[in-house]
Amino acid sequence: MPFNYACFSTSGGFFGLILSVLPAAAQAPTDSAATRSTRAWYVPQHAVLQTAGGIGMVSGGVGYSLFRQRLDVDALAGYVPQRYAGNKALGIFTLKTTYTPYTITLRSAAWRVHPLSFGGLVNYTPSRTLNRSRDEKYYDGYYWWSSTVRFGAFIGGKLARPLKPSPTGQPRAVSLYYELGTNDLYVVSLATNLSGLKVTDVLTLGVGGKFTF
Amino acid sequence: MLITLTRRIRQGILLTAATLLLTGCELFEFSPNDVRAPAAERDLTAKNLARLQATPKPTGGDTLRFVFTGDSQRFHDESGPLVESVNRQRGIAAVVVAGDISDFGLRREMQWVNDRLRHLNVPYLTVIGNHDQVANGRQAYQEIFGPLNYTFTYDRTRFILIDTNSREYGFNGKVPDIGWLEQQLADTVGVRRQIVLCHVPPTNEDFDPTLIKPYTEALAKAPRLLFHLNGHAHSFSIGEPYADGVTYINSYAFEKRQYVILTVWGADQYKLEKVAF
Repeated sequence: MPFNYACFSTSGGFFGLILSVLPAAAQAPTDSAATRSTRAWYVPQHAVLQTAGGIGMVSGGVGYSLFRQRLDVDALAGYVPQRYAGNKALGIFTLKTTYTPYTITLRSAAWRVHPLSFGGLVNYTPSRTLNRSRDEKYYDGYYWWSSTVRFGAFIGGKLARPLKPSPTGQPRAVSLYYELGTNDLYVVSLATNLSGLKVTDVLTLGVGGKFTF
Repeated sequence: MLITLTRRIRQGILLTAATLLLTGCELFEFSPNDVRAPAAERDLTAKNLARLQATPKPTGGDTLRFVFTGDSQRFHDESGPLVESVNRQRGIAAVVVAGDISDFGLRREMQWVNDRLRHLNVPYLTVIGNHDQVANGRQAYQEIFGPLNYTFTYDRTRFILIDTNSREYGFNGKVPDIGWLEQQLADTVGVRRQIVLCHVPPTNEDFDPTLIKPYTEALAKAPRLLFHLNGHAHSFSIGEPYADGVTYINSYAFEKRQYVILTVWGADQYKLEKVAF
């Protein structure tokens, strides 16, 4: 899908400020599918860095974009320092997929707006740092849930800005996203307490950025 | 028109960002297993004890009246009505909760429970339950509430709150801490009556079998023990399982929509009332 944008001089505001630190973009990249084919299929297409959203104070990783850049599949490793985790720092390993169906391209703006994203994730927190609910000290079914594996779902949005292609002609872009999410145990808590809990009680917020290279 | 649209969108984004920043701090979660809580939601045991000691006893003479409940767990629909009911009672000095504050051992669950119980007209005190020790729960409990074993004396009544969730430690022979319990029971200076509060009773399979004897013997030997209070079973019960003069009372869980009021006076007198809400 060719990018369609006209000018980068529109600036100002909150995001304009952030952008002033980014390298200026040049003309629109050529057919991205053609340029992508020069790279081995297994080489990740983007790097991602996120804070919060239940997957770490900081979590970083790499991923792929499929279906005309609408479906992202990312693998991240997250970290929660001891200060926030109590006894030991937590490591969190997350697999995440995000679907971004719509793109609003603004002729006068450098940024493309993706008003809606949604997706799901699964993550694992090693049991070295947690008292595992499936430990041998419990008989089968003592606790019905897993304390180390969490399933999550989220909804959010994204702003993306194409950048100058790499020297080898790879299209590059940077994007910023936010996600409002929840996890399986929070959903169970809410579903069984419709008068005692509110939706906002079980929401989490995460923000992050992606660099497509 | 496009410029107007851009401006609109930009305004929208700024507004959304501002709203998220304002409400977002609470939502900005590193992990459901992180234990960080705002200052107002930390060290609640110490804060509630300070509040208790600062409040004159609502009943006259040597009478002390308190609410006994337990296992708030995942019964958030019931916690609001419980608070409303307790707030209508007269002469209550405090509420004690016999463990399993949370279901999954998550910080946020403990915050949800405190969000309701902080509306009690009186301070509430908790002891840790087995569910509060799953995942990173033991850290979360210590951050939000405080120590796992502690005592306090109010109106010459010494409450001894002890972690008896032996299975959570793999029956390591150290939980409950018998030495600590004996020490607390032996210290009777200014104490007219003693009450032990825990989550898992010694009659339960989750209590370390090697510690049943020393635990129950320590209670039987205690000079001024009124009764032993525990939770875990979710249903009310009262009895003397070891025929040694020690009365064991199990609390109602929140889900039962009932709680117990205990009124104690003299050296060994008490009255037990059940309240449905």
